[in-house]
Amino acid sequence: MSQWHPQTEQLVEFAAGTCHTGISVAISVHLHYCPECRKRLSELESASAVLFEHQKPIAVSDNLFASVLSEIQQGKVTESVKPAAPARATSRYPKALSSLIPGTLEELEWRSPMKNLKVTHLMTDESGLIVGLHHMKAGGRVPNHQHRGDEISVVLEGGFSDELGTYGPGDFIFRTEEDVHSPQADAHEDCLMLSVVSAPVKLTGALGWLINPFLKA
Amino acid sequence: MSAANVISILSSKKARTMTEPNPAAEQWADALELVAKRQDTAAFERLFKHFAPLIKAFALSSGLHKQGDHLPDELVQEVMLAIWRKSASYDRRKAAASTWIFTIARNQRIDMLRRLSKYRGDVSADEIWDLESDTELFGEIRQSRVQEHVRIGLYELPVDQRQVMAKVFLEDKSHQEVADEMGLPLGTVKSRVRLAMKKMKLSLEAYDL
Repeated sequence: MSQWHPQTEQLVEFAAGTCHTGISVAISVHLHYCPECRKRLSELESASAVLFEHQKPIAVSDNLFASVLSEIQQGKVTESVKPAAPARATSRYPKALSSLIPGTLEELEWRSPMKNLKVTHLMTDESGLIVGLHHMKAGGRVPNHQHRGDEISVVLEGGFSDELGTYGPGDFIFRTEEDVHSPQADAHEDCLMLSVVSAPVKLTGALGWLINPFLKA
Repeated sequence: MSAANVISILSSKKARTMTEPNPAAEQWADALELVAKRQDTAAFERLFKHFAPLIKAFALSSGLHKQGDHLPDELVQEVMLAIWRKSASYDRRKAAASTWIFTIARNQRIDMLRRLSKYRGDVSADEIWDLESDTELFGEIRQSRVQEHVRIGLYELPVDQRQVMAKVFLEDKSHQEVADEMGLPLGTVKSRVRLAMKKMKLSLEAYDL
C-alpha cells in the first residue's frame, strides 16, 4: 500500500476539478494504487454533493426538458442498457494514462539527459506543466541534482530511494525546487515513474522538455 | 483485509440501523434505477426537475455564462444526457445518487471549460476522474454518514468558512484563486477549508481514516 500521499489541498482540488491537468493525472494515477485516498476522495465528493444540493436552484429554459427528451428519443443516446465500456483490459497502466501511453513504452521517444536515467514526454498541460515518464535502471543512481520548480513523481513500477525516503508503486512524491536529491533505483528491478514538473520560463520552446526537468546536473 | 477495515465495516452496519433512511436520497436512487432498467421517462423527468436547476446554478457559479449566454443550459443538457446514458453504471451500494450526479456535472463542466479554452486537452475528464470502481459494499452507508455530518456541520460553520468552502468546492476555483479573489493570504484560505472540513468530520490526512 502506498505510503506517500497527495496533500489535503491537492485532493480537495482534485475532487472539485480545479487543479491543472498535469496534477490531476498524477493524483489519478496515485488513486489507482491507493484505496485510502480513494476513500478520502469519495468523502470529499459526498461533501461536494451536499454543498451542490444546498445551492440556490436557477430555473432552466422552459423547453429544455423537451429538447433533452427529443434527443434521447431520436436514438442518439442509446447506451443506457449497457454499462460503460471497461478500461482497455490490456493496459498495464492506470486509466489516466491510457491516452498518453497508447502503445508500448518502446514506441515512445526516449532521451537520456543524465546517467542511469531515460525520460520521455507525454504531454504539456494548459498551465505549462510537463507530464512525462522517467525510467531508472535497476540499481542505478542518478547524480545529485536540483529541480527548477516543483516536481511530482508517482512510482508506476519498481521502486527507488533518496535522502528523504523509500518509495514503491503508487507513492506520490512532492519535491519543491529547494530539494536536492540523488535517487537510486531498487537493485532488483528497473523503476518507472510518472513525472510532472513545472516548465522553466526560459525553456518553453519545442525542445524545452529535453533539458527539463534536470537543468542543473 | 486489515483489522481497521473490519472495524469500519462493523461501525457502518451499526450506522445503518441507527440512521433514519433518507427518503429524498432513496427517491433519486430509485429514479436512476428506473431509468437504467426501463428507460423510464417519468422518473427521468423527476430527476430533471430536481437536478437541472442545481446543475445550472453550478454552471453559473463557475462563470460559464460569461463565455456565452447559452452555455449554462447547454451544460445542463449534456449532464442530463450523460445521466441517461450512464444510468446503468450507477450502483446505489457504492454512492448516493446526488454524489454520482455531482461527479458527472463536474466532469462535464471540466470538459466544457477545456473545449472553450484554446487548450486542446490530450486526456478527457472521464479518463482522469472515473476511477476503476471500488467494490466496497458499504460505500453507500459510509457516504450517507459522511453526508449527514456535512449537513449538520454546514449549519454550524461561521460565514467565512462557509463562503470559502463553497468557492473551493463548487465554484471552479483553486485555493490560490480564492485567495486572490478575496484578498486573503493563501494560508488563511487553506486553514479555513481545513477548519470547515474538521467540523464536517472529513478526513484531513490518509491516516485519519
